[in-house]
Amino acid sequence: MLEVKDLEVRYGRLTALRGVNLSIREGEIACIVGPNGAGKSTTLLAISSVLTPTAGSITFDGTPIHGTRPEDVARMGISQVPEGRHIFTSLSVEENLQVGTATRSDKAEMKRDHERVIETFPILGERRKQSAGKLSGGEQQMLAIGRALMTNPRFMTIDEPSLGLAPKIVDRVYEVLIDLREKRGLTLLIVEQSSERALKAADSLYVLRNGAIQLAGKAADLQDGKAVHKAYFGFSDDHEGEVMI
Amino acid sequence: MAFALQVLMNALSLGSLYALAALGIGLLFGVLKLINFAHGDFITVGAYALIVPSAATQATLLIGDFHPLILIPCIVVVVVILALIAEFLVFRPLRNASPATLMIGSFALGFVIQNILIMVYGGRPKAVGIWSDLSLGVELMPGVEVPKLQLIIIGVTLVLMVVLVLFLTKTKYGVHMRAAAEDFRMARMLGIEANRVIMLAVAISGMLAAAVSMLFVVQTGILDFRMGVSLMLFAFIATVIGGMGSLVGAVVGGFAVGAVSILLQTFLPSEMRVFRDVFVFAIVIFILLVRPQGLVMSRASRERV
Repeated sequence: MLEVKDLEVRYGRLTALRGVNLSIREGEIACIVGPNGAGKSTTLLAISSVLTPTAGSITFDGTPIHGTRPEDVARMGISQVPEGRHIFTSLSVEENLQVGTATRSDKAEMKRDHERVIETFPILGERRKQSAGKLSGGEQQMLAIGRALMTNPRFMTIDEPSLGLAPKIVDRVYEVLIDLREKRGLTLLIVEQSSERALKAADSLYVLRNGAIQLAGKAADLQDGKAVHKAYFGFSDDHEGEVMI
Repeated sequence: MAFALQVLMNALSLGSLYALAALGIGLLFGVLKLINFAHGDFITVGAYALIVPSAATQATLLIGDFHPLILIPCIVVVVVILALIAEFLVFRPLRNASPATLMIGSFALGFVIQNILIMVYGGRPKAVGIWSDLSLGVELMPGVEVPKLQLIIIGVTLVLMVVLVLFLTKTKYGVHMRAAAEDFRMARMLGIEANRVIMLAVAISGMLAAAVSMLFVVQTGILDFRMGVSLMLFAFIATVIGGMGSLVGAVVGGFAVGAVSILLQTFLPSEMRVFRDVFVFAIVIFILLVRPQGLVMSRASRERV
């Protein structure tokens, strides 16, 4: 569904990505893990065309999307829940969801999607008139996911969904994400700093470090933490081979 | 009592003009992060559009001779088209430049507009008397008479503000504009067309400028190629002390600057009145020292956790 080939992104003279390759199949949950500054968010921003790659290609269903505008990518059915969630805090919860339908005119389906989002996150229904800035961190994460769903995406990227959230809420968020794949056939690309929970949910895993993919494979084949550990840190740790990051 | 009411009406009507101009600046700053210093010149062009383009010292009315119901839309169309031309020729090519570059671009645009006005209309101020019966007084209560125009200025400003609020809160495009003003990148990632939102903001800003053109020129009866510049300066100050990026702040700032100017005008000893603006600016500096973020803090500039 999404093919990223030899992707290179630079911020001025700094090279953030030096040849990233991803191949994400329809209906799977893919996960990118890697330490701080590895280029995870940069990869997602390049997929959303917020950043323009200096080399390489990104194709969605065979159509090249690199070098287009973010709004074009959104229109094609790619939605992103970015790092820090980027809720519109001066808008109400309802208005945030409304912005998600910017590209759509299918009134009936919009209503259905709205009902689904409220059903998934009842708290958003209870707080619909409230200012989104007043929501708790967990509720904002739910709103960010709900808003992304309102674009009716076929492919969704989520940047660190567990960042700053209580473990219980992280569980709920992952439950929802897995459910979206099961029930709606949504394809997901999740970025996380820690691989433990990601490995549990993911079908395929990519370890990103220093702007390059160090390891890629089926999550089931990587359950032994040693290889992941080595790819993540760049060295193996014989004393704590069983430790997951 | 009568005197106080008089002063209040003066302050409200001047504040209204500043608030309208400040709203036009604030709207554009919201989505473009551009402080449009050419906004005052948009106002000037709206006023000049009333007369026949010629360098003659005596102004001949052109659009200014039309029935008000045709005249007002004509002026609005002229200023909106000018604003959109500015967007296409100046702001859009500078879209990815730094805010400072954009701001200097708007300064340059302002000078170009002023010099075109001098070329076409000549550099001398011209008298233009339209709707002069509006300056006749209306008796608010026994002993208190205010010009009809002051009431109209305040009324028009209130109506425009209500319409703007309804647009921003109740319509799809208004909500999109608020979203884009808070977080432009995120809005685009959700599919909002950047160019469409910006053009809409530019057009609305132009409409507000046209409203100021009309109210201002009817009040002063004089056309001058720099007439918008001082308005722009005070409106800019209004947006700064109100809090950059907050439309409520722009309105509050506009009325605050208007009120301070009128109060100083009224209560300063007459030999110091020529220095009125010095006192206004001193108060502005004081406000910025005490509250650098402005009187009303915008949500977009607040730190998020």
